[in-house]
Amino acid sequence: MIALLAHLTPTGFGPWTDGMARLFLEPTELLLVIALVLLAAQSGRPCTNRLPLLLPLAWLLGGLIGLHLSEELLQSLACTAVVAATGLLVALGVRLRAQVLLPSVVLLASGFGLVAGSALEGHPGALAALLGETVAIAALTTLLGQLLAPPHPRWRAIAIRVGGSWITAASMLMVGWLVRHPR
Amino acid sequence: MGSQLMNRIHWQLSVLALAATGLALAPAAAWAHVDGHHGGGFLAGLLHPISGLDHVVAMVAVGLWGAVLGPPALWVLPVAFPLVMAFGGLLGLLGVPIPGVEIGIAVSGLVMGLMVLLELRPPLWLAALIVSAFAVFHGHAHGAELPAGSNALLYSLAFVIATGLLHLLGILLGETRRWPGGRRFVQGAGGVVALVGLWFLEQALT
Repeated sequence: MIALLAHLTPTGFGPWTDGMARLFLEPTELLLVIALVLLAAQSGRPCTNRLPLLLPLAWLLGGLIGLHLSEELLQSLACTAVVAATGLLVALGVRLRAQVLLPSVVLLASGFGLVAGSALEGHPGALAALLGETVAIAALTTLLGQLLAPPHPRWRAIAIRVGGSWITAASMLMVGWLVRHPR
Repeated sequence: MGSQLMNRIHWQLSVLALAATGLALAPAAAWAHVDGHHGGGFLAGLLHPISGLDHVVAMVAVGLWGAVLGPPALWVLPVAFPLVMAFGGLLGLLGVPIPGVEIGIAVSGLVMGLMVLLELRPPLWLAALIVSAFAVFHGHAHGAELPAGSNALLYSLAFVIATGLLHLLGILLGETRRWPGGRRFVQGAGGVVALVGLWFLEQALT
């Protein structure tokens, strides 16, 4: 996991595409984005409408700051715990008001962006990779947000909660794994 | 009109049951290509839950029992189980000992199989408590076995998804209770689960 944070996997199509691919090769970041979309979908349409704009922008802002850090931020345990907590809110069916959820999204996305930016720092084409990852996040958030936008039929509301429980369960196991195998 | 609708629902359920069976068992086709010693990775995580019959029958039994109990247990149990199972896995990873894990896993199959066989319907809180208590044993066993690989989160996610698909398989099999003879089929499935649990209990105790 930490090794992955420190490297971009070359796709052969340049740093932009490497950055886009990074989102799907870095499960902690991917799970956070999915968990936030699920939480927004559960919290109502004002949240799902604003998420595709706020989440990528906050991620980009954090990433740009991270690119200027001299050392890589290794926060795997904290990041995974945050993903577990976000998934738990989804699994419990918690509905947050937009005034609470959207600032939280900005805080989390900028924090994860900061970590991602610090990991990309020093790579050739780091800025292009960060932009590529941001575009991938925007695309995923928009598509998933539209797909899961309320109102929900009963089965979809259940599926969202099941998805949250899966994210939390996987993240909790990862937390234990990180404690057991510290680097 | 009503019977046409029911037929369509039954047909869709049977397709879903087949799909879930395929999804749950598909990784077995690739078994030969996985080096279990290296662990890690999505495929290894998908394979792990189906590598032990005791775990498989208990997971399917959770879904079967949920179907017997009906909503909201139908979805509460499959939501609660992975969460508590992961907590048990966390304990296993942290090295917190739980006595009699293998016995607990075997008893889970026996008890939940009997619940399905006898169509017992306790209150939701009690059913969730029973399932959660057994989930700790299953999670602990698997957490202790989580390999030191580079893709631990992918492994964990795949492991949880495979467990969820086994629940789904149980739910879909349980929904056959709507069909003529389906009720006896589900009770029979519960009986098979209970027998498998009893066999594993005998193995664990000797």
